[in-house]
Amino acid sequence: MTSIERVDPPLAIPEADTLLAFLDYHRDTLRMKVDGLSQEQLAQALAPSTMTLGGLMKHLALNEDHWFGVMLLGKDEAEIWQQVDWDADPNWEWRTANDDSPEVLRALFDSCVEGADRNIRQALAEGGMDYLSIKEDRREKQKFSLRWIVVHMIEEYARHNGHADLIRESVDGTTGE
Amino acid sequence: MTPTELTRPPLRANEAESLIAFLDYHRDYLRRKSEGLTQEQLAQPLAPSTMTLAGLLKHLALVEDHWFSEVLMGNEEAEIWQPIDWDADPDWEWRTAADDSPGTLRALFDSTVETSDRCIQQALDEGGLDRLSHRESRRPGNGHFSLRWILLHMIEEYAQHNGHADLIRESVDGVTGE
Repeated sequence: MTSIERVDPPLAIPEADTLLAFLDYHRDTLRMKVDGLSQEQLAQALAPSTMTLGGLMKHLALNEDHWFGVMLLGKDEAEIWQQVDWDADPNWEWRTANDDSPEVLRALFDSCVEGADRNIRQALAEGGMDYLSIKEDRREKQKFSLRWIVVHMIEEYARHNGHADLIRESVDGTTGE
Repeated sequence: MTPTELTRPPLRANEAESLIAFLDYHRDYLRRKSEGLTQEQLAQPLAPSTMTLAGLLKHLALVEDHWFSEVLMGNEEAEIWQPIDWDADPDWEWRTAADDSPGTLRALFDSTVETSDRCIQQALDEGGLDRLSHRESRRPGNGHFSLRWILLHMIEEYAQHNGHADLIRESVDGVTGE
C-alpha cells in the first residue's frame, strides 16, 4: 500500500484550509486501505458485521454526492444513484459493490470526490464556512452550515476508516493508520 | 447506569462550538459503545485484531491527557501514566485494561475528559482556536499545534477508534448503530 501519498494536515492554518486538509487525509486513508486488493478481497466481510471494503468505497462515494451535491448545493443526485429505489433496497450501494471491479469502484469514488471538491469551492466562495445548505435537515427543518457538513464528513470518514482498519487486517494482515 | 445520550452537534454554530460539540459527540459515542458490558466482555477482541473496548477507553483517556494537558498546556502527564516505562511497554494501556473493572475504566475516562475540558476552556480564553500549543511537534521544523488542529485531530482520532468499537461491540453482543 505504498502508491498513495497522504499529506499530514498543517499544524497552524486557518479554518477552511485545516478542515479540507483533514477531509483529504481521510479520503486518502480510505484509498490506502482498499489499495492492492482483488475484487474478491474487497467483497470480504469481517463477521458478524456484513460491511466490506468495496461497500465502504461505494457508500462514501454516495455520501460525497449526497452531502456536497444534493444537500449543500441542491443539485440532483449523480446519475448512478438516480435509478435506485432506496425504499425497496436501502443498502443498494453496499450490496452491489460486490459486483464491481476494484477499478470501477475507485473511478466512481474519485469522480464523486472531484465533484464534491468543486461544490465545496463554490460554496466557500459564496459564503465561507457559514454558507448555508440549500436543502434542510428533515428532522430539524434547518439548513446546515458548510462547517457542519465538512466536520461531519471528516468524522464519517474517520469512523468508516476504523471499520476499514479491522476489515483490511482480517483480509491480508495489513495494519497501520 | 442510565445509557449515555448522544447529542447531535448544532447545525449552525461558530467554529469553536462546532468542534467541541463534535468532540463531545464522539466521547459519548465511546461511552455508549462500552456501556452495559462485563469486565470479560470489555476485554474481548475481534480477531485478528487485538484491540478491545476496555483498551479503547484507556487509550483514549491517555490520548486526552497527552494532547490537551501535556501538549496544549505543557502540564506533566497525569499521575497514572507517570510510572510507566513506555519504551519497554509501549502498549501498556491496551495490555493492562483487561485487569480493570468497568467502573474503574469509566472513572478514569470521565475524570480525564473533565481535565481536558478545563484545558480547552483556558486555551480558548487565552487565544481562541489559533492559540498555539505549549509543546512543539516532535517532527523537527513543524512547530506548534493550533488548538484548532488538536480539536480536529481528536475528533478524527475518536471517530476512527469508534469505528473499531462498532465492530468489536457487534462481535461481543450483537449491538450495532449509533
